[in-house]
Amino acid sequence: MVALLILAFIAITLFEVPSLIKKKMWGELAAFSVYLLIGMALTIPQALGIRLPNPTKTIEALFRPLAELLK
Amino acid sequence: MPEKGKIDTKQAIMLSICLILPTAMLSVPAVIIRHARQDAWISLILSIFIGLLVARLIVSLSFRFPDKTLFQYSEEILGRVPGKIVGLLYLWWVLHSNAIAIDEFASLPCVALMPDTPFVAFFIIAIVVAGYAVRNGLEVLSRYIELITPIGLGLMVSLFCLLTTKVKFERLLPVFDKGLVSIVKGAAMPSGWMGEIVLFSMFIPYLNKPREACRVAVLSILIIGIFMVSVTVGILLVFGPDVSSSWIFPVFMAIRAISIANFLERVESVVIGIWVFMGFAKIGVLYYAAVLGSAQWLGLKDYRPLVAPVGIVLLGLAFLCPNIIDLLDFLARAFPPYALIVFELGIPLILLGASLIRGRRGESS
Repeated sequence: MVALLILAFIAITLFEVPSLIKKKMWGELAAFSVYLLIGMALTIPQALGIRLPNPTKTIEALFRPLAELLK
Repeated sequence: MPEKGKIDTKQAIMLSICLILPTAMLSVPAVIIRHARQDAWISLILSIFIGLLVARLIVSLSFRFPDKTLFQYSEEILGRVPGKIVGLLYLWWVLHSNAIAIDEFASLPCVALMPDTPFVAFFIIAIVVAGYAVRNGLEVLSRYIELITPIGLGLMVSLFCLLTTKVKFERLLPVFDKGLVSIVKGAAMPSGWMGEIVLFSMFIPYLNKPREACRVAVLSILIIGIFMVSVTVGILLVFGPDVSSSWIFPVFMAIRAISIANFLERVESVVIGIWVFMGFAKIGVLYYAAVLGSAQWLGLKDYRPLVAPVGIVLLGLAFLCPNIIDLLDFLARAFPPYALIVFELGIPLILLGASLIRGRRGESS
């Protein structure tokens, strides 16, 4: 699973990065890398079976007083 | 500007329908019926008014800043740093809503038909195909939607016509049984859904007739509303409030009950077909909004390089979403205040108020 993910990352990088460098689109390259890093941080731990903090639960906790009204 | 394509009025209407309707059709009726029972249709009519309000807000903002999307004019109205923060919030909201949509998209086939297939298979298919459409640009996406929406809606209507043999009108009585509070509670979730029309502001600059934006938004909310009301009333007429409120996928189960002359049966596969097509449309539209939004937020020239990494982020977020029962609980209780107060009414109202006070218009600056 992890190997497949890393393969996908490499494929995406090979697919996008050369043309970005050729066209000198450095801003796009930076945004691309940041998103890819966020994606790695989200997917690889989950593929290894590590539970990440769940944003849905955080939102639920933030809006608990209002959510209780809709019970 | 990162996007050069233009869409016409008809495509825009279908695009905003696909922005809301596909996932709303699936499981929202059960939640409304749980609160308001046989008065669910009154709740839905209330939610149409909320949707119209949000649509009006967004259109007046867009009229003040023509050629600019939500991410661009929030910066212009509030100044650089607060505008960026608002943009970041919306970016998060779009990505999260899309992850929820992908999770719901995978849930119906996974729960109802193919329990042995892992969720991730559906996630990857959805993201890869939607990502391909998004990479090809707004025009390709909206042409796909233009092709699929009439077929999907038409099939849905004809399936519900087949249900008419089982209809009993007494199931809608007594009207106003549970009181006003329950009806308002029932209106919360569909209002949260209707308010997603906020994201239509990402597409207004790309209309070939931007003056018709108001008509587009209002018409699409009305079509969605009428469709939701008829689906919910259809479910209620066939099963009554007790049975239908306990289902996860009431529309699917209602269509499953079709049996005409022991011959025309098991047509629920058509529902799965409609769901796959329309679900792709919804995921595609949200995906596009996320990618275009992040490109505009960062001031990039091209959004296409971002499509693949955003897909990976979506995959991770969709994985993080809880199972369908927890997800529906979140959508029924925490999502309406979260989406409505912050993203659908709060921030647009602040933006409109600030732009009125500062008297800024797009043309002058």
